[in-house]
Amino acid sequence: MADLLEVGVLFAAVAAVGAVAARLDKSVIPFYILTGIALGPSVAGDLSVAGVAVPSVTASEFVDLGAELGIVFLLFFLGLEFNLDRLLASRSRIGTAGTVDLLVNFGVGLVLGFALFGEALAALLVAGIVYISSSAIITKSLIDLGWIANPEADPMLGTLVYEDLFIAVYLAVAAALVAGGDGLGDAALSVGVALGFIAVLVVAVHVGTPAFERALRTGSNELLVLRAVGVTVLVAGVALAVGVSEAVAAFFVGMGFGSTSQVERLEGLLEPVRDVFAAVFFVWIGLETDPALLPGVAGLVLVAVLVTTPTKLVSGYLGGRTYGLSPRRSARVGLGMVSRGEFSLIIATAALAGAGAGLSTEVAETLYAFTVGYVLVMSVVGTLLMQYSGPFEAFATARFGPG
Amino acid sequence: MDVTESDLPGVGKRHKVPLGDGRELVIVTHNTGTREVFVRESPDADSEKLLELSDRLARTVGTILEGAYFQPVESEHVETMLSEGTLLEWYAVDEGSPLAGQTLGDAAVGERTGVTVVAVQRDGDVIAGPGPETTIEAGDTLVVVGDRESCEAFEATLLGSAE
Repeated sequence: MADLLEVGVLFAAVAAVGAVAARLDKSVIPFYILTGIALGPSVAGDLSVAGVAVPSVTASEFVDLGAELGIVFLLFFLGLEFNLDRLLASRSRIGTAGTVDLLVNFGVGLVLGFALFGEALAALLVAGIVYISSSAIITKSLIDLGWIANPEADPMLGTLVYEDLFIAVYLAVAAALVAGGDGLGDAALSVGVALGFIAVLVVAVHVGTPAFERALRTGSNELLVLRAVGVTVLVAGVALAVGVSEAVAAFFVGMGFGSTSQVERLEGLLEPVRDVFAAVFFVWIGLETDPALLPGVAGLVLVAVLVTTPTKLVSGYLGGRTYGLSPRRSARVGLGMVSRGEFSLIIATAALAGAGAGLSTEVAETLYAFTVGYVLVMSVVGTLLMQYSGPFEAFATARFGPG
Repeated sequence: MDVTESDLPGVGKRHKVPLGDGRELVIVTHNTGTREVFVRESPDADSEKLLELSDRLARTVGTILEGAYFQPVESEHVETMLSEGTLLEWYAVDEGSPLAGQTLGDAAVGERTGVTVVAVQRDGDVIAGPGPETTIEAGDTLVVVGDRESCEAFEATLLGSAE
């Protein structure tokens, strides 16, 4: 039974720490995860004050499903705001900056993952986890700092779009490989099914705009929200049922809706829905984290932080230069791309889902704890680097000149 | 003047308007409708935020800037076409008008010019369907219906310039 009190504790706690994060001008994501850890069975579950048990949250069916919906809506929004035409229109600049970002960070991630875990699939997952920057944190910081009106916003948002498209395909393949059981044949089959499903969705998105348009045409906000949620969650559910990543399915549904005339209304109406379930997702990440495992992965996290912070600085700097920006602004692009967040966690969730299948349980759990620790550090480091960018800009100007 | 528009994925749209003196106005329109207005002193400078407006406020300010919102009415009277050839017009009665002080019956504008006075606006009130006993006072606005010729004749009578 989903305990209403537990859910109430969850949302009240999220609301409280969200206010604290806003006051401190920091990203909410690490706060939500830490809240989840604190409320979870390992911390609050064992505590009692004067004989009364401290309210805690257990991973109930509601929280599990809510977290799943959080993933679905995060990716749905990514698709909704993803515009293939826009990507193609400035493909040379986005393509160059995005490919540099991919080669440097994914490449380093593969090497790092292999060094840390000693197996190919874990290396592939680590590569994804350290490659993908956090759209949520970076976009929010851009707005908060006013950089959104500056030229450095363009390479940053452009690179995020490139990463988003890559991660949609990557997630489909990674989820299939993790769940793929034994042998090369099984793995190839599940990757084939995943890519086939993507191909069907791409065709549906491409030719389905009139149908989406008709399906969403209503003056009533209530009906619009219900239809959008109905289609998205149903398609995501079907995807999961046939063994394909639900997140990827949601991404493509979002992309299909993004080409209709209802896109602005959908964004306005569904943003609160996404935010509520995304908060549940981050808390759930914390609930699933056994804090006892964190000290064990601290070394891995430290190595990853030390290696992958500079790689984003370099790839971001080069990306800024391909946009013709000065060294000072290019330095900002590098600093701005450091934050990792929701998508790294989604990859880790996929890894955990495959524990005992494609990955050994031990590796899956270590990888999960590693990602939680890594995201906690990188989301904070990333926002701090943006807030205190001054010395880095001065260094870039001194080293590479003003122009 | 080149206004550039760019998409900000996940945020909204950005417009850049060069102000001619090297400065640039940058307007970020969020998907929520909120507008943020920035100014950049030079291409190298950072954007400084001037203000943030809600969707509704931005539209109001926009129409004022456009000159469409509180556009002063320049002509003496407003002219509205009721149907082909028939006008509905508003005429202000000045202090020196020969009609001021007369009743509508005495003024007999219907016989003299061909128009019908359908309403009199006085101090914010409207006297609808005024009778022959209604007095025309300086400061009134008369609402009349007639063809263009009649309206012109009435205007001449009102100003005391007829014949």
